[in-house]
Order: sequence, then C-alpha cells, then structure tokens
Amino acid sequence: VTEQTKTRILVADDDRDILDLVVFKLTQAGFDTVAVTDGVAALAAVEADPPRLAILDIMMPGLSGIDVLRKIRENPAISDLDVILLTARARDSDVDTGFATGASDYVIKPFSPRELMHRVNTVLARGDR
Amino acid sequence: VSVEQAFLIAGILLGLACVSAVAVIVFARLTRTQVGARSALTLAPYRPALVAVASGEDEDGLAKASLSAVPAHIWVRLRPSVVAFLPKVRGVPAADLGAVMRAHGDVEEALRMLVSSSAVARARAAYLLGLVRDPDSVEQMLPLMGDPSADVRMVTARALGTIGNPTAAAGVLGGLRTQHGRIGLPAWVAAEALLAMGAEIGPALLAGLDSADPAVRNVCAVVAGHGTFYLAAPRLRVLLAADADSDVRASAAVALGQVGGADDAATLARHTDACEGAGLRRTCATALGEMGRTESLDTLSGLLVDEDRRLAELAADSLVRIGPEGIARLQEAVAPRNQGPAALAAGGALELAALRGQLAISGTGP
Repeated sequence: VTEQTKTRILVADDDRDILDLVVFKLTQAGFDTVAVTDGVAALAAVEADPPRLAILDIMMPGLSGIDVLRKIRENPAISDLDVILLTARARDSDVDTGFATGASDYVIKPFSPRELMHRVNTVLARGDR
Repeated sequence: VSVEQAFLIAGILLGLACVSAVAVIVFARLTRTQVGARSALTLAPYRPALVAVASGEDEDGLAKASLSAVPAHIWVRLRPSVVAFLPKVRGVPAADLGAVMRAHGDVEEALRMLVSSSAVARARAAYLLGLVRDPDSVEQMLPLMGDPSADVRMVTARALGTIGNPTAAAGVLGGLRTQHGRIGLPAWVAAEALLAMGAEIGPALLAGLDSADPAVRNVCAVVAGHGTFYLAAPRLRVLLAADADSDVRASAAVALGQVGGADDAATLARHTDACEGAGLRRTCATALGEMGRTESLDTLSGLLVDEDRRLAELAADSLVRIGPEGIARLQEAVAPRNQGPAALAAGGALELAALRGQLAISGTGP
C-alpha cells in the first residue's frame, strides 16, 4: 500500500460526466475518493470527515464552489484544507475570486485529465496548508 | 336545459378535461422515465469504458476498441453520451473519443452533411467536426463561412476555432464580410475563433490589418492586442493615426495599449488631444493605463482637469493602474490646496482603488 492510497479526495460537481471521470482518474491513481453533486453535500462531507484535498466545481446548485471554499476557510477546524476549483468559466474575475478566497489551484474546463492529476499531485506535494 | 344544468355540465366537462390532461402528463413522464431507465440499463455496461477513455486511463486502448466495436443499434443510444463528453475534455481523451466517433462513421457522415440542403444539418455537422477537432475537416468546412445561414457561419467559425488549425484564419476573417446583403460573422465570434488558433495566425492577422474591409481590420486589431501579437504594433500605429473607420482607430488604440512599446505611450498621448473625438480620447486614456508606463504620467495628470469629465475619470483610473507613481499624482491632486475639477476625478479613483484593494497592494494607501 503506497502513501497515495491513504489520501482521500473529495470531488464535487453537478455534471455526472465530469464527476465520473475525475473520480475514475483519481481512483486509478490510488486515491480514495468521495463524490458529491452539490455544494451543500460537499460542505457537509468536508465538515463531517475532512479529506486531504477537495476538488470543487464553481457552478453547483445550492452552494457554489466559491461559497463552499469560503465556508471552509472560515471554519478553523478545516481551514487548512487544500482546494482546487474546477469550472467552465474562464473569466479572469473568477480566477481572481478563487485565489482571493483561498483556492490552492484552479483548473478550467475543458481540461486534460492528465493536467488535473498534475495539479492534484503538485498541490498535495506542496502541502502548504 | 336550465342555466344551472348548463353550468353543471360545463363544470363536469372541464373537470374531465383537467383529469385527462393530468393523466396524459403522468403517462408521458412515466414513459419517459421508463425509456430513460431502459436506455441507462442498456448503456450501463459501456459506461466504464467510456469513462476510462474520457479520463485518459486507456493506455492499452482496450476501452477505445470496445467502444469502437459496439453494434450499430447500441451506438445510436451511446453516441449522445460520447458527444456529451467531447466538449468537457482536452488532449488524448478528446482525440480518443473522436476516434471512436470516426470508427462508427460519424465523422464521414458529418463531412457529407456539410453540403446538406438543411441549414440545421450543416450546422450540426460543423459542430460535430469541431468537437472531434479533426484538422482534416478544415478545408471542407471553410466554404461554410460563406453559408447563407448566419447560424451555420457562426457554428462553423466556433468549430474552426476549436480545431485550432491556423490555416483557417483567413477563412474566418473572410466570414466577416457582408456579402450579397448578408451581414457577416459577429466580430466577437471571429475574434474568439482566431485567438483559439494561437500564435501561428500571425501572417493572416497582419494581412487582415491591411484589409479593405473595416470589419476585418477591426477584428484583427482586437486579436492583435488580446493575443499579444507584438509584430502587429507598426501596423496598429498606422491604423490609429489614419484609418477612415473610427471603430478601427479605437481598436488599434486598445491593442497598442496591450502590445505597444515605450514610443507608443507618446503615440497614444497625442490622440488624447482635444482635437480628437471624445470616444478616441477616452479609449487612448484607458489604453495608457493598460500600458502602465510612467512616461504617461504627465499626459494623464493633465487630463484630470479636462472638460470631458468622463475622460478625466478614465485618466484618473489609468493613473491608479500605473502604480505608486500614478497614485502619488492622484494624491497630489486631492491635496487641500488643489481643490478643483482634478480633485473630484482623483478622489473618485482613489476611493475605487481603496475598495479594490489596489492601494494596499501598491503600498501607497491614503
């Protein structure tokens, strides 16, 4: 069992295709995954049992990825969680808002799954939170 | 029949109609749910292979091969799922999904449909070819830039941008022209498509800046700025100085703000003179802020007292964007001894900058 298999990552996206492929990719790489389809469930999952990293879509029903990220940063118990934002919106303002709110990194759809994995590994290796 | 009986009958008929409508809706929803469930059940065995290909986890090619080999009656149901994945991924997964589409003859079918008599069919074909990013399709798609249907032209331009083959740049620019009374491609669609094609569109872009059509010159100027095509700067200077079209001059000014050098600060400053039109003066003042060079400090400070108050506000905002030196000029303008029109514009810009956090970043807070 490698160190990677112990690492749990939460993936939140209301697009079933994206959710399935990201979870599949992470699972193949040896990570444990938790998959949810909305922001409220994502926040509940993070608060109940914090993962090492959360990959959050920005545009989700209920709470947006930015809202979830903001609540994570406001909660001292989970404020050090690494978060990668995933979104179809490529506007500079979204990138700025994401980083200003405390995102660890940002991936814009359409994305290369390989690139996403690179970002995941980089954020986990950085471990600056 | 009495009036009461007539109302009663009408009420019964209305009630029956309502019940029937509800029954039809419930039946339709149940049927759709059942069809959906049956379809999901049929496709379930193929979902893992589809996800494996889309996630790039098909190094041995088995998943792609299995999807390419599904029978035609299954492919009809599976195709929408593959098409749904295509715009969501890039790189090898997108190429592999495209290969699956090609294996089932969808690419060839789309190429045939490019000359369909139906505009919807032509647009769908162009959209699909864009999704599969097939560079070999470009030549056959280019004639659609002159299609009678505006929707077909727009879908084709976007598809060519998605494919990203720079050889299509001149064709997309050609679509901007108004031909035979048909309004050309919207400028923003052409600009986005060109930007998606990358740095290799340089020669087509430079040629477009010399086009006789102002719509083409305008889009090329916009793309030159946003795409940071520094080689376009000399031509942009000429367009700003003397183009017959005011939109082209404005776009050239904006682009120079993005790609211009030290000399262009003076060029843009000249076009803020009172002899120029208000629109161009304001555009040049904003472009000086985008450029962010300290050579523009005097020009922008001078504009704070201009009679065109909007121009003064834009000049103040540009001073903020230049950084600490520009902010110092604004703080000088709002000093108690300098109360006047300049102080109004400067004060507003400083307040906005404080709200945006720009003063803290620059280290020159009030």
